[in-house]
Amino acid sequence: MFKEGMMALVGIAFWESIYMTLISTFFAYLIGLPLGLILVMTDGEGVRPIPIVHQTLGIIINIVRSVPFLILIVTIMPFTKLAVGTTIGPKAAIVGLLVAAAPFIARLVESSLKEVEKGVIEAAQSMGASPLQILVKVLIPEAKPSLLVGSAIAVTTILGYSAMAGFVGGGGLGAIAINYGVHRGQRDIMYVIVVLLVVIVQILQEFGMQIAKRTDKRL
Amino acid sequence: MEKKETMIHLEGISKSFPQKRGSLEVLKDIDLKIEKGEVFGIIGLSGAGKSTLVRCINLLERPTKGRVYLDGAELTCLPEKELRQQRHSMGMIFQQFQLLMQRTALENVCFPLEIAGVPKEKARARAEELLDLVGLGERLGAYPSQLSGGQKQRVAIARALATEPKVLLCDEATSALDPNTTAGVLRLLKDINERLGITIVVITHEMSVIQEICNRVAIIDDGQIAEMGGVEEIFRAPKTKAGRELVYHEGTKREAIEGPMENCYRVVFRGGISGEPILGGMMLECNAVANILSGNTRMLDGRVYGQMMIQLPADKETRERMLAYLREREVEVEEVQYV
Repeated sequence: MFKEGMMALVGIAFWESIYMTLISTFFAYLIGLPLGLILVMTDGEGVRPIPIVHQTLGIIINIVRSVPFLILIVTIMPFTKLAVGTTIGPKAAIVGLLVAAAPFIARLVESSLKEVEKGVIEAAQSMGASPLQILVKVLIPEAKPSLLVGSAIAVTTILGYSAMAGFVGGGGLGAIAINYGVHRGQRDIMYVIVVLLVVIVQILQEFGMQIAKRTDKRL
Repeated sequence: MEKKETMIHLEGISKSFPQKRGSLEVLKDIDLKIEKGEVFGIIGLSGAGKSTLVRCINLLERPTKGRVYLDGAELTCLPEKELRQQRHSMGMIFQQFQLLMQRTALENVCFPLEIAGVPKEKARARAEELLDLVGLGERLGAYPSQLSGGQKQRVAIARALATEPKVLLCDEATSALDPNTTAGVLRLLKDINERLGITIVVITHEMSVIQEICNRVAIIDDGQIAEMGGVEEIFRAPKTKAGRELVYHEGTKREAIEGPMENCYRVVFRGGISGEPILGGMMLECNAVANILSGNTRMLDGRVYGQMMIQLPADKETRERMLAYLREREVEVEEVQYV
């Protein structure tokens, strides 16, 4: 079915996709996690309410999140060029992915931390815990299982985005599916790639859920 | 007589919460002194403001007006950082326990010590000692989800005691527990009070909890202290409507009996006489029957107390004879308006 060399091509693309996804998830968390923590802490009912910070951050996050990914990746091209010196290939895609994913992750983190019961936070306050101690010793550890579930959602979503990055020369499995499957009409290759993506998403999701379950002491 | 020292002093405490229109006044100018080493009860129906009041003691809620003193030092004027320091000397336990679900019992008790900056080894040793004290020395490694309600509250008590507080605040600490477990937890609190001399403030809506462990009680109604005094005194003769409702009915409205009933009396038995069949004797002696409406018996500071609501016959002469019989036997009888 495949011409010679096709397998090798798909193999390279597979690793490109994994590389893009994991690297951009990592960097997106570096930005998104603190943003999520700030959102929760500065909330009007949070541990350290600063409404102006909370609202401004919320609006910025909503704006970035409302721009469709393909448009976002094109819009930030000048920035991408500045950051990694190129606007095509996996490296450039990572910049786009991380800009798109960071606000998404901030919201995931926010919702995970909000699951922590108010009463537990109040109890910590009654023991004289400072806002920072509450964050580090109560909010994050208590929300850990939920944060892990969130990270499984984040990594699969970013994988989906990375396939879209193929449209603008981002490389990876998405690029192959588009170049061969769509532009050259080789549907079989496209289907193989789609199946491959489905399998990767299933594995990542299941893996994340299992870790979350293992670490949760509530069960 | 020894002079009692004040541990907690609330001075003119008012608290209102802003609402969409105007504000809701939950506490109205409350003055309260709680003595060192006593078990002080604050009782009221739900919505009376008692939970807000206890949160004003450690300033989880900032009172809108008034001052709070702990052991002579004003808390209300302290900056956040110093207030946090002061909170190490006030433990608190809650109705829903509020343990950290991702930590073991031992780690939960270590938590306030970590907060206070106690070295790990020392914290661990202290936590083990405390869990032993509350009877959970064998369950150090258990997670809260593996413990029963009563055990969780014991962990919470150990946790509240970790920083060697002067005061333990209990916010409806037994309301989520069944009667047997409640009795155990109350015994533990009493024991802690006696052995460690910690002042305990108990918030509850159950008169039985107050009677079990408190020395003094304040009845709070509609954001104000309706009456305050020794538990025995209030139990025997509540002066206010809120007090009567709590003492006679345990705070629950009796839907079954509607409207005022006539010739109703509340009979209070004290000490040893509960053993004698006084009511039976009265009925035989007077050759008339009394209608028993409700009754209960409980221990109060080691003595048996019983109270009973009875309805006596409409015939005045018989009624008088029955009352005389009861009064002769040093049983307290008072006519009550409703049952």
